[in-house]
Amino acid sequence: MSYKALLTYALTGASTAALIASAGMASAQDYPQRPIEMVVTFGPGGGADLMGRQMGRLMEKPLGVSIPISNVAGASGNAGLTRLKTDAPDGYTIGTLISLTVASWASGLGDSSVDDFEVLAVVQNSPSFLFVPASSPYQTAEDLFAYAKENPGELTVATSGYGTQDDVTLKLLAKDGVQMENVPFQSPGERYASPIGGHTAVLYEEPGDVAQFLKAEQLKPLVVFSEERHPAFPDVPTSTELGYEISGLDNFRTVAVRAGTDPAIVEKLQSAVEESVASEEWQKFCAETYSCIEPVTGEDAQKMVQDFLQLITDQLAS
Amino acid sequence: MQTIDLLFAGFASAFQIGAFLTVVVGLLVGVIAGALPGISFVNAMAMALPFTYAMNVTHAMLFLGGIYVGGVFGGSISAIMINVPGTPASLPATWDGYAMTKKGQVKRALTIAVTASAVGGLASALMLTFLSAPFAKFAMKFSQPEFFAATVLGLVSVIAIAKDKPIITMISLLSGMAIGTVGVDPLYGQARFSFGIPEVESGIRFVVVMIGLFAIGEVVDLVATDRDLRPKKADGKMAGASFRDIWNVKGAIARGTGLGCMIGVIPGAGATPGAVIAYGVEKQINPRGKEFGTGVEAGLAAPEAAKNATTGAAMVPLLTLGIPGSAATAIMLAAMMLQGVNPGPLLFIMDPSMVYTIFAAMIIANVLMIGAGVGVAQMFSTLMRTPPAILAGFIVILSLIGAYGVRNNIFDVHVCLIFGVIGWAMKRVGFPSAPMVLGVILGPLAERYFLTAVANSRQDYTVFFTRPISATILFLALIFVLWSLWPSVRSRIKRQPA
Amino acid sequence: MAMVEKARDDRASWRDAEPKHVAAQGGRGKAMARLIPVAVPAMLLVAALVLPAFMFTGDRRPDVPGLGPAAWPNVVLLLLGVFSSIWLAIEVWGLVKWRVSTSLSAPHDEDVYHYGKALVGIGLVIAFGWLLPYVGFAIACAGFLLIWCLYGGLRNPFVLVLVPTLGTIALLWMFMGLALMPLSRGVGIFDQFSVALLQLLGIY
Repeated sequence: MSYKALLTYALTGASTAALIASAGMASAQDYPQRPIEMVVTFGPGGGADLMGRQMGRLMEKPLGVSIPISNVAGASGNAGLTRLKTDAPDGYTIGTLISLTVASWASGLGDSSVDDFEVLAVVQNSPSFLFVPASSPYQTAEDLFAYAKENPGELTVATSGYGTQDDVTLKLLAKDGVQMENVPFQSPGERYASPIGGHTAVLYEEPGDVAQFLKAEQLKPLVVFSEERHPAFPDVPTSTELGYEISGLDNFRTVAVRAGTDPAIVEKLQSAVEESVASEEWQKFCAETYSCIEPVTGEDAQKMVQDFLQLITDQLAS
Repeated sequence: MQTIDLLFAGFASAFQIGAFLTVVVGLLVGVIAGALPGISFVNAMAMALPFTYAMNVTHAMLFLGGIYVGGVFGGSISAIMINVPGTPASLPATWDGYAMTKKGQVKRALTIAVTASAVGGLASALMLTFLSAPFAKFAMKFSQPEFFAATVLGLVSVIAIAKDKPIITMISLLSGMAIGTVGVDPLYGQARFSFGIPEVESGIRFVVVMIGLFAIGEVVDLVATDRDLRPKKADGKMAGASFRDIWNVKGAIARGTGLGCMIGVIPGAGATPGAVIAYGVEKQINPRGKEFGTGVEAGLAAPEAAKNATTGAAMVPLLTLGIPGSAATAIMLAAMMLQGVNPGPLLFIMDPSMVYTIFAAMIIANVLMIGAGVGVAQMFSTLMRTPPAILAGFIVILSLIGAYGVRNNIFDVHVCLIFGVIGWAMKRVGFPSAPMVLGVILGPLAERYFLTAVANSRQDYTVFFTRPISATILFLALIFVLWSLWPSVRSRIKRQPA
Repeated sequence: MAMVEKARDDRASWRDAEPKHVAAQGGRGKAMARLIPVAVPAMLLVAALVLPAFMFTGDRRPDVPGLGPAAWPNVVLLLLGVFSSIWLAIEVWGLVKWRVSTSLSAPHDEDVYHYGKALVGIGLVIAFGWLLPYVGFAIACAGFLLIWCLYGGLRNPFVLVLVPTLGTIALLWMFMGLALMPLSRGVGIFDQFSVALLQLLGIY
């Protein structure tokens, strides 16, 4: 091999290394330089997917790069979190972390804890309601609860599963004498069709996921599990008003990154999230899904998730 | 007559150049994606979703509808040509379709498949247009016990398909059902058979199993047998199916269409059970049923008609009630919700022109599908001229991309590889793999329908027999088993008079 | 029938479970043809009996309502066990009677089956899938296509250069560029290489 050839090889090698090095040096100042992947932890079509897609679309503007969505579904959202945890903490992978997944940790799913993630912001929050079909014999929460007290276990409630916050709410109601049968429906579509078709008496859900049925007046909200009335449903009484202390089990959706991400990058992402939430488009979206909140960030967000997990763990253990 | 007026208005707007092109592009994307081994129409629709952001709602639905209609058919192209089903719903197309290809009748098989699919799809698009309201009402009578009964009917027809070896078919089916229990259970949120590995909690998806069992095993066989897929000179001259050929299988197409329309409305079921049940029923009814599996036209036509007949039917609950029954319709729902449109009864009142444009587009898409299907099939037969080694390499890569794309998870790629090895070994020893895939599809459905039905009736196990529709379907399933097993039982009695 | 192939690898014979084939072939093939139909149901039976014990790992919530998460898999595995034992009984009975099993019949539409080649092919596919998450899609794909072409008997240098490079670029554009799929970029240095490559191709 001639000296010249050797030199050529060395130069090519060096330039390749330089190319790699330049791509590898992701300093916080020039972040972001390439597309940021938004890991949606559920399949296309659900509430988490809509949130992730909407957020990804709106964050593209402040960050100036494209944000493609990848749906990593499975194990109640834990499969997607595994991805979020194993990708490099360089801010190029962000993901959705929602209350349903956090509740699943209490049932022993996944191997994540709150400390594995840096919650950028809690962007959606909505209390759950009990809904009945329009033709239901119980048109008020008082009627419904009175019947349930007299006939324990006779009324059926469509929920998302055992061991979820739905289950915890029903358990808390049962402690106060209102005993209803939990009927888990894995598929959201079937969960809503069953009460509308008259096959299940009651539906436990957050209003955003059944907005179309509320607008068509196929479902009627009876009670909200919260301390305050929901601004969009001023006529619906709260559980507290009716004498049942059930709150803190709201459905929240957050955007998170892997713990250990450069604080400067976290700050950039956080301000992009806040800017997106403030946008007119997002406000329209969250109003339609009855889930608008002031974004909760930093330590408060972390604590909110931790407290929720603690509440579910305690209730399931009791 | 209001429907007709609205439909004409729908046609007028669907034939506007922008809308029309959207349907055509969607259709082509669907057929090509469906025909690529590993990439299913659900994959393609999920990938297409971001492109709909920039469109208006109607165009978004036309685009996704086109992909859906084209993709459900497209899977049969690779099933017929190389024995690798592009989507699970094309599984039955490998049984008689690929057998026809081996006889040198690939063009005939493709023409019959595309015609049967188009007829089935068209019939169900018309049903969607004219009968969606009564059908939706009927569908609301169905609840979990009925869904369970329908799933049992699906499981039973798997046995009917391979009646000469009922025990081994049962074992294959049950193995598939056992595989389907891996991962988080549907009601309690508990991980089963995870062996402490977090990745396994995600469970095993049927598409991944199918790609492994069929695509990987087939590719290995392709290189190990020196098989030449290149079309022979004789094939070029071989005519496609004549009108007479199609007319001869009109009964099979009609029965497949009817079954597909019924099954498509049931949430969770969709194209695959529709095609399988149609094949099973046709095998019983058709006078040539005994020859099924050796390249009989009716055995190809019936499931092809049925699987496309589920497309329009599956959109009935979506558009009339706002309830998606399958992964494909859930993506359509997402596309509408992202644009701030909520499907459901109000949509018909508030925006009937949009609904009828979608109806018209579904009709147009199914008519155009014949052209698109033949065109893409032609393109694929040109691709088959490449050396088998190169072709096989790309099939492997596409299959693994497809497995990955189901959930963007590398775990699914590894599962796919494991099933690739299992599928290859199963094929070498002659253990049937199709019932296993159907077990992975139907097993988890049966489980959650059963458990939810029982919970909904407050732990009353008789609910399946006390509800009239559920009881009827279960009775039909029983009749179906007896009817399909009777000939082999009778011959055994005759052989050994005891 | 290709006699050479038969001589090289007589395991090929057990795919032909038909009596006349078995009778015509050597002892090893005959033994395989007898053993496999017994071994498969036996394995499945063992699996059906053992697996229920391994259904759950870690703590389980006590007193769940309804049938619980174990009910359905238990029923499926029980039925699997029942049918496997029926099959096993039939096979063992056949073995005793020295009858040839007809329960499994492999496809015999191919005259030639290169078992060695098939196993190498499987090995290549597994290596590709296993390396994919470490080296990234681009390198794994190009490498796999190159080796696969060599393995398929292609020696034309043009083909060996063009198929892997153009194929990989086309697939990258189609799936990462157009369909926005997050295909693996690999870890560490490979991740950096993939990012650089994607930027070079204009995808990022």
